[in-house]
Formats: sequence, C-alpha cells, structure tokens
Amino acid sequence: MTSLELTMEKPNLAVKESRDVKHDLTSGTPEKTVGEALLDAESARMTCRDVNVYYGEKHAIKNISLDIGRNEVVALIGPSGCGKSTFLRCLNRMNDTIEICHVTGDISIDGMNIYDKKIDVVPLRAQVGMVFQKPNPFPKSIFENVAYGPRIHGLASDKHELEEIVVGSLKRAGLWDEVKDRLHAPGTGLSGGQQQRLCIARTIAVGPEVILMDEPCSALDPIATARIEELIDELRENFTIAIVTHSMQQAARVSQRTAYFHLGTLVEVGDTDDIFTNPRHRLTEDYITGRFG
Amino acid sequence: MNNQTASTPPSTMEKVSAGMGRRYARERRFRVYGMLAVTLGMVFLATLLFSIVSKGYSAFQQTYMELEIHFDPEVLGIQDPNNAAQISGADYPGLVKASLRAEFPEVSNRRDKRTLYGIVSSGAAFELRQMVMQNPALLGTTQRLWVLADDDVDMLVKGHIDRNVEESGRRMSDLQIGWIDHFLDAGRMELRFNTVFLTAGDSREPELAGIRSAITGSLLTLLVTLSLSFPIGVAAAVYLEEFAPTNRWTDLIEVNINNLAAVPSIVFGLLGLAVFINFFGMPRSAPLVGGMVLTLMTLPTIIIAARAALKSVPPSIREAALGIGASKMQMVFHHVLPLAMPGMLTGTIIGMAQALGETAPLLMLGMVAFIVDIPGGVTDPATVLPVQIYLWADSPERAFVERTSAAIMVLLGFLVVMNALAVLLRKRFERSW
Amino acid sequence: MAREIEGHTMRRFDGELHHLHNLLLQMGGLVQNQFELALQALREKELQLADKVIARDRDLNDLEVKADEEVISVIARRTPVARDLRTVMSFSKVITDLERMGDEVVRIADLTYSLYENDGPGPGTQMMRDVHGMGRMCGEMVQAALRMLDSLDVESADELRAHQLELDSEFQSSVRRLATFIMEDARNVGNSIKVVLVLKSLDRIGDHATNIVEHVYFLAKGKDIRHIPPSVHRA
Repeated sequence: MTSLELTMEKPNLAVKESRDVKHDLTSGTPEKTVGEALLDAESARMTCRDVNVYYGEKHAIKNISLDIGRNEVVALIGPSGCGKSTFLRCLNRMNDTIEICHVTGDISIDGMNIYDKKIDVVPLRAQVGMVFQKPNPFPKSIFENVAYGPRIHGLASDKHELEEIVVGSLKRAGLWDEVKDRLHAPGTGLSGGQQQRLCIARTIAVGPEVILMDEPCSALDPIATARIEELIDELRENFTIAIVTHSMQQAARVSQRTAYFHLGTLVEVGDTDDIFTNPRHRLTEDYITGRFG
Repeated sequence: MNNQTASTPPSTMEKVSAGMGRRYARERRFRVYGMLAVTLGMVFLATLLFSIVSKGYSAFQQTYMELEIHFDPEVLGIQDPNNAAQISGADYPGLVKASLRAEFPEVSNRRDKRTLYGIVSSGAAFELRQMVMQNPALLGTTQRLWVLADDDVDMLVKGHIDRNVEESGRRMSDLQIGWIDHFLDAGRMELRFNTVFLTAGDSREPELAGIRSAITGSLLTLLVTLSLSFPIGVAAAVYLEEFAPTNRWTDLIEVNINNLAAVPSIVFGLLGLAVFINFFGMPRSAPLVGGMVLTLMTLPTIIIAARAALKSVPPSIREAALGIGASKMQMVFHHVLPLAMPGMLTGTIIGMAQALGETAPLLMLGMVAFIVDIPGGVTDPATVLPVQIYLWADSPERAFVERTSAAIMVLLGFLVVMNALAVLLRKRFERSW
Repeated sequence: MAREIEGHTMRRFDGELHHLHNLLLQMGGLVQNQFELALQALREKELQLADKVIARDRDLNDLEVKADEEVISVIARRTPVARDLRTVMSFSKVITDLERMGDEVVRIADLTYSLYENDGPGPGTQMMRDVHGMGRMCGEMVQAALRMLDSLDVESADELRAHQLELDSEFQSSVRRLATFIMEDARNVGNSIKVVLVLKSLDRIGDHATNIVEHVYFLAKGKDIRHIPPSVHRA
C-alpha cells in the first residue's frame, strides 16, 4: 500500500462546488436561496422579487425571489407553516381578503406588476386561476359551475358559445365522459375526485394563463389523485402551473421544478430530478427524506 | 417467588374494572337526571296545553235555541214594507219578546218578563233585522228560527253553571232553569258550531264576541313588520358581515345590536309612541305604527340570525367565487346569500313569531282599543290577538274564560303554522342547492 | 456510519437501512475471508482449503438473495428519495459487485485445483511471484473498499481508484512476463494460462472493489464518478 500512495495526489473532482455544500442543520435558515430560482426573461411567465408577507406583526414570508416558467409545473413543498400556501396566494392576490395581510416586493405576470395600484384584482384572478385544497364546487348544477366564470366575465356572446366553453372545459378537465349525461345534476353530488376536476374545469373555463393549486389532492384517494396528476401533466401544455403539495411523491411526479420552503424562506429551487436525487441543501434533504417535519 | 407475586401491583385491567361499576353508575345517574328534566318539561307543557284546551274547546260551540217568530209588521211598527228606512229602524227586539211571551204565557210579572227576555242573546234581534232587510217578504209570516241564546244560558247548557248549588249562589234562578229545560226537553235548544267566534269582531256580549278583527289586525301588523324588517335586517347583516371594515365603529354597532335584542319590548312601545305618533303624527291604534314598532323590536333578532347564517357559509365557497374572478358583490349575491337564505328565513320567522306574540309595546300605541269592526287597511284602528286575549282575560263574564282559552289556541295554532312554514321553507331551499 | 442512513422521523426506516447495511458488511467480510483463504490455498497448495472456499460460496449467494430482497422491500415500502434513494441504489449495486467478487474467488480456488491437482511439476516460484504480489495488492484494495463501505467515509476514494490503475498496469506487465515463460519453454503453456486466469480474476476483484468505492462515493456525495478516471482529474 505504501508504494502506491506515493503515486497519488489528491485529484480535483470536476464537480460544481455548490453541489457539495451541505449547510449545517443547526445553523438555521440560509441567507440566500440555493439553486436556480430565477429564469431568463424569455421563459419566465411570473417573476417574484424580494417578496415579503406580513400577517400583522408576523413576518410570514421573507425575501423570496422566484420565477415561474412558461408551461412548467412548479411544486412548492415544505413543512406546515413554512409559507408555501401564503406565497401561492400572493400570486393572484387572494391574500387581499385577509385584512391584516400585507405584501411587499414585486410580483409580475408577463412583466405587469400585479400589486400595482392600477391593477384590478377581478381580471387578475381570471388570468391567474386557483384550485383549492378542498373540492369546493358551487351548490349548483355541473353546467352552472363551469358556466359561472365565463358568464360573469362576459366571455360568451350567446348561449351556444357558453355551452361550447363549458363542454370544452369539461373535456379538458377529463370529466366530460363522466358527466355528459347529467350536466344539470348538482355538482356537489359528484365524488371527491370528480368535484376537484370540476373545480379545475371551472378554473380553466375563464381561460387563465397561470393555474395555482393549493394541495389539490389532499382530500382525495390515490386513484383520484392519479387522475388529477395526469390532468396536471396534460394541462402543462397550455398553462403555467404552481402547485403546493404536502406529498413529496406528488411533487416528484408532476413537477419540473421544485421549490423548498422553510420557515418563510425559500431554501432551495431546482429541477425536480436534482431535488429528489441530490438536493444541495441539508434542510431540503432532511425534509424530503423524512428526517424532520 | 411467592412474595413477589403477592406484592405484584394490580394490573391495568384490574384497576380499570374496579372503577367500572362507579363509572357506569355515574353514567346511569346522569341519564336519569336528563330523563327527569325532559319529563318535567313535557309535564309542564302538557299541563299548559291541557288546561288551555280543556277550557277553550267549548268556545267553538255555542247554544242556539229555536223560536217561533211571527214577523208582525205591527209589532215592528212598519207601515210601508218598501220603506227601507222603516225596516231598518224597526223594533226587532219586540219580535223576540213577543215570541217568548207566546212561548210562556204564564209569565206576567214585569221583572220575570225581563228575565225571560234575557235568555235570548241581544244579537238575535240583529239577526232578524238582517233577514228582513234581505227579504222583506218575510213580513207577516211566521218562521221557526234558530237564534243565539244568552251567554249565561250557554254556560248552563255547557255545565259551567252548577244546577245543584243553592239558588242564591248561582247566576240563574230556578225559574230561568225551568224555561231552559222547557226548550231543552223539546229539543229546541242545542249546541252548534260557533261561527260567530271566527267571523265577528269584539263585543261586550260574549256570545257575540269573535276574534276576526284581532286576527286581521295581527296579520296586517305582521305584514308591515315583515316587509320592513326582512329587507332592512338582511341588508344590515350583509353589510356588517361582508363589507364593513372591522374597526371600533363596527364593533360598537355590533355590541349595540346585541344589546337591542335584550331591551324590554315596552321600551320600544314608548319609543314608538313618542316618535311615530307624537312626533310624526301617525294614526293611533293602527297596524302601521304597531308594525313599525315591532320592526324595531325584531330587527336585532333578524340581524343576529342573518349574520350567523352568513358566517356559517363555508369560506371555501367564497374562495371559489373569488378564485375565478367574481367581485365581492357577485360573491355575496350569487353564492353567499342564497346559501345563507334558509338560515335567514328561519331567523325571520322566529322574529315574526316573537312579534306575533308581543303585547306590551302595542298597549302603548293604543292597539288595546275595543275594536268591533274588522280593520280594512294598515291605518284603520285595530287590535291584535294577544291584546285581544289580554282584554278578554280581564272581562268578568264567565263565558269570556273559554273564549280567552280558545283565542290562545288560535294564537298557538298560528305559531305552529309559522314554525312549520320555517321548516318547510328551509327544506325546500336546501333541496334546490 | 451515523447520519448517512440515520435520523428518519420513521425510526423503523433507519432500522431497515441498518439491517441492509449490515447484510452488506457481512457479505463483504465473507468475501474478504474467502479471498484470503483462496490466496492461502494457492500459496500453500492446500487443495482442501480450496474445497472449503468453493463450498462456502453458497453462503455468499444466500446472503446476496437476502440482501436483494431487503432492497426491494425498502424501495416498495419506503419510496426512498434523495440520499435514501442513493443509499438503496448504491447498496443494491454493491451487492452485485460483492457477489461477483465471490465468484472470482471461487474461480481462483478452481484454478488452484487444476494447478496442483495432478502430481505434475506445477508452476514455478518465479511464475507465481506476480500472483502473490498482485494478490497482496488486491487484498489491500478489498480491505480498503470494505472499510469505506463500513464507514461511508469517502475521503480516500481517489487513492483507491488510483490503486486500481496501478493494479491494471501490474496485470499488463505480469502478462508480458508470463509470455516470456511460455517462449522459454512450451511446457509452461498450460500453467501459464492458468496463472494468467488467476491474475485476471485478481484484476477483476480489484475492479469490483473500485466499483464499490464508486457506489459509496455516489451514495455520500451524489456524484457519479464511475466513468471519470482519476487520471483525468490529475490532468
């Protein structure tokens, strides 16, 4: 052995330095997001810069900068209370309904700052749709559920056109074959998974560019979950999707990029493949391998 | 080894089973207390209902007697059968008296005669007048007619006057009882359904007194209350719950609304008297003013119920509406309000039931008047059912006792119907979701 | 080995990974022991010892099957990701390498038999010198690789990878030397070929040891260095 050691000098491995940096868990949250949070102007649909959210005194989101690209699914993961849902709700200003909530920073869609005073939230929410944790169809018929959005926004000029939008949306949501015979039955009578797909149909009926999903499968069984995930994958062709999920497997299955939130900070962003095989930050790794939470 | 087993602490199972008996006993005891409470409540309710029904059911029957009436134009003092004024002003009580005299020719004493006339209700003469005015051809003919008996006769027939009591101790003399028995034995006196009670207004004579004017008054008052308090209450609730910012002012308003619900109703009556009648000069005793005062009284109830109904609409529905770009107004009116409506209706109907049973503030507004005529509009003088009950309960005649109870039964009936309506409406709305 | 495979909220997961790791170390220990016995049999011409080595290979196969089952079970039930995923995948590959090493050891034992079975002359001491040298070198590599598998500490990974290159060139020169024996005397052909096969097996064992090092490196660092030869780094 000794004879061999002589010939060896420590080789320099051709690996990016950041790949090997594992921050110490006890040193707390990082100052700076690890990974490629920002995209080039060409591929970014929504850009968020230095976003801070306060609930009264509480600093819920700290200096988050993140881009969401065109036709990609971004998964936001992290332990409960890490601010991922809060961040998601900033993207279509759903936080406006909470009086004590205060948002600073810059969030833009296609270069337009959505927190600008001149921006009206009503058309914004048509542009950035949202699907919620619990399937929440209106207590109306299936048809009315989907038709409601186009109707209030005046998207259809006559009844025929409205029907076309409804049928098209139901088809894209993969629900058409199951409900075509009972369009006028109440939406609340569907199964949980069907209800959630109805909610997705309702959202895409108003023709949004971005769809935000806040734990859309947390109330569903695995089969219904799989159908929603398949749907998300299909919708990616036409929409930009940001999804908050507690299921890391789901994030791994549906997303192209994954962002890990921890105590209001964005710890790491990266390609989903990288995050789930070789995360760069120790906090990310501990979270996704189930070492705390 | 033996020592060890002896000192082994009892197992969990043993400890648990040791306490089991006591736990079950406590549970049984608690169940018994509950049953007792429910039973007691039921007994009170049953007693109340029994007392009211047993006293009041007889008011739905009234004693009628058959008299042979000779429509003698001379007795009536009618010379010209075509003269409407003469027919109208004729002496119809004379006909009744004549008929009674013919029935009992042996009565000659003046005092006895007056007593004899007393067994027929004074309403009989009005009835005869009504008949003749409708059909003057009756003049000169003799008819056997069923007419109302006096309330004392009614009481005797219904057994409320005890024949076995000494003559001086009861309201009827042996002589009167003899006459009545004469009619009874001949089958010319019997109990019939009391239509007068449901169709007539108030009267000093119990056998002529009815609740129609009171019911109409109540309905008119409720109509005014409903048409004012429902829209105002719902609008206030929607504003406070959905649109108002939360600050000190809205807190103050909320506290005050809750306090208003606890203000004694008589205070609202005084307020109505001072503001509506004295300041604005609105008519006294009118359902309009009564309804307005009851509106003030029921508003807090409706607002509180409506806010609770709005609060109970799941936030997920609001989020769903906002999430696809509905404005706040659209969210409220397209989604929240329809879902809250059943709750609001229930609250409103409960408020209305409260208003229906309210007496005190109406006393202040003069709705305690003696109303014979049936009110035709919201500005006519009127009284309401509970006030009518209060008035009758105060009257000395024995026959008013059963009428009071009967009126209470009618009032309770209305309340039951209203509550049933609330349940029905709610069911309907729930189904149409 | 500490936090490489520990610290899950679900502690049974830790236990399962530990169990898998222990199976691997058990296999590794058995392979190393077999390897030493095979070399000893070759050195001391002990055919009985060679028999024993051949027979004990079955134990190694049993362990391999057991470890593979454990890998499948962990994947199925724990759906490992990130470091856990790398751990399980690396372990799975290490299992294969260990089993192959075992096979090579058996091959050496077989060759020992055919070299010394007949009372023929057998290979000369000169001929066997390279075998013993490479055997020692190879044994050190196996030991180092197993130490790394045990500690999951990859500090010395590149040293080991360099040993492999050394072993390779040693193999090349040994083959050249053996060629000279054949040229000297055609009767040496049979033994020489067998000795070359032994050397080849030793070279293969070294390869597998290096593979193990590379798998452990991937486990610990998340970087695949299999096809980046250490020579490139030196450049």
